[in-house]
Amino acid sequence: MFDLTPLTEAVVNGQAPKAKELTAKALEAGVSPGKILQEGLIPGMAEVGRRFECREFYVPELLIAARAMHAALDILRPLLAASGEVEPIGKVVIGTVRGDLHDIGKNLVTMMLEGSGFEVKDLGIDVSPEKFVNAVKEGGYDVLAMSALLTTTMPSMKATIDALKEAGLRDKVKVIIGGAPITQEYANQIGADGYGEDANQAVRVAKQLLGVAA
Amino acid sequence: MNDRERWVAALRGQPVDHIPDEEFGYWRDTFIAWHKQGLPREVKDNAIADRFFCFARRETVPISVGLRPPFRRRVIREDERHRVIVDSEGVEAVVHKDGSSSIPHYVRFPLQTRADWAEFKRRLDPKDPGRRPVDWEWHVRQWRERTYPLGIYVGSLFGRLRNWMGFEHIAVTVHDDPDWIHEMVEHLTELALAVIDQAVQDVQLDFAAFWEDMAFRSGPMISPAMFREFLVPRYKRITDRLRQHGVDIVYLDCDGNIMDLVEPWLEAGVNTMFPLEVRGGSDPVVIRQRFGKAVRLLGGVDKTKLIEGKEAIRKEIARLEPLVADGGYIPHVDHRVPPDVTYENYLYYLKVKRDAFGIPHPRCWQEQMAAAQAHL
Repeated sequence: MFDLTPLTEAVVNGQAPKAKELTAKALEAGVSPGKILQEGLIPGMAEVGRRFECREFYVPELLIAARAMHAALDILRPLLAASGEVEPIGKVVIGTVRGDLHDIGKNLVTMMLEGSGFEVKDLGIDVSPEKFVNAVKEGGYDVLAMSALLTTTMPSMKATIDALKEAGLRDKVKVIIGGAPITQEYANQIGADGYGEDANQAVRVAKQLLGVAA
Repeated sequence: MNDRERWVAALRGQPVDHIPDEEFGYWRDTFIAWHKQGLPREVKDNAIADRFFCFARRETVPISVGLRPPFRRRVIREDERHRVIVDSEGVEAVVHKDGSSSIPHYVRFPLQTRADWAEFKRRLDPKDPGRRPVDWEWHVRQWRERTYPLGIYVGSLFGRLRNWMGFEHIAVTVHDDPDWIHEMVEHLTELALAVIDQAVQDVQLDFAAFWEDMAFRSGPMISPAMFREFLVPRYKRITDRLRQHGVDIVYLDCDGNIMDLVEPWLEAGVNTMFPLEVRGGSDPVVIRQRFGKAVRLLGGVDKTKLIEGKEAIRKEIARLEPLVADGGYIPHVDHRVPPDVTYENYLYYLKVKRDAFGIPHPRCWQEQMAAAQAHL
């Protein structure tokens, strides 16, 4: 039986070439792509998230771990697509709200969501309520995630939630928000379903809302 | 006390007649919003606003640690709402066409390779005589009889590299090529030392200022261990040089949650934290409780309380009164005032702050309040 622990460790330690090599070896040994993803890579990113939360890891460690995971995923992705073996644990549409051009926080959340098994559609920056609504209408997403850096762009989050209500889509999607000026209190006030203080918490909140085991 | 004596004494935790009256500033959008709410149209930038609100004077010497020459600013393309520009540091970014405030969306960073760094080094020559203005001697004569604090901006050891390389790139390069990061930080250290030497030979400075902006709300962009390895010894060389010349107030501008960095900064001789974004995780009351009077504080009035209204403003100032009494702290809004603070609330905040801390209301103040009230 092929031991996937070294692959998990390679992700945690941000060793992209090693993660790629071990993934190739696991495939050669007959391990299925789905098992490599579920039991090798995702546990690695979960451990990275845990260490980030207890301040053992900081953002650079997050980034090199994600790079290692992506190096392995480059090999796995076509095989996973062909086999249909693994379904994402949820589909998320994410964007920085109207008026806001900042994207570091959003990109970190995207990276951690993908690392946890979510499929993520990134709408980018300065995303209007209409664009979010259209994406929800067309994409069949489970979660809509919004980021804001400025107090002046926070109202765009409420405008987006209002637009979802107007379009009759509010109960079709869970809404989570985050960003420098955002608080749980603000999330409650505008009727969001969840608030993530950082990238790792955003993942946990998304999982909780979808009833996925953390 | 004059402004110089008061500012220095306040940050050293020595007795003062009252704390200095100063503020960080305002976003461009804030002026636009306030012009509709009674602020005279002539008050359209931070320098004019400082005079209009009668704040205490504080200046830095005109020595540059910037890129010389700067990159050529240009517009690459634009659409209905956005403009793609290359700024004076060579960064390609998307900005709002109407000039409204936001951190830009960065498209391309100019410092990606060691070859790019060679070009940056050329523009960061510590020996460049043009770092001092041609009328330096005239300035030196003016400063001799000054009554206001004068300092020097010594730049940054991480923040500027981050701006030039992009956050993701510098974050992974710290792991992939630490020697290159060491080389670049060392060069910026030599540049800072060179500009300090050029200034202190002619003028007695009161403070020095760094800028870094290297923290998110969840904590610093790099670990305290990396911070200690790459930055602390170099900050220490710079602050030691400053102290040799009697400069014992060294403040550092860093937004976000700085809690994990305060201790290493103190070890490195950086003793004053600014602007203390409360909602960002840097509450001055908590910082003082945790690090004691070794840390001096500038800022820390939660801007969101000015958005909330008058009661919240009164409570926020009351919350900070014991810290002001403790000393080594000058309160002001914890970043630039955003446009969702009304002009009325801002004037109220200034009144409450001045009343609470015994800051004399400027002579022009009654007229300004009356004009604002008439407009409202």
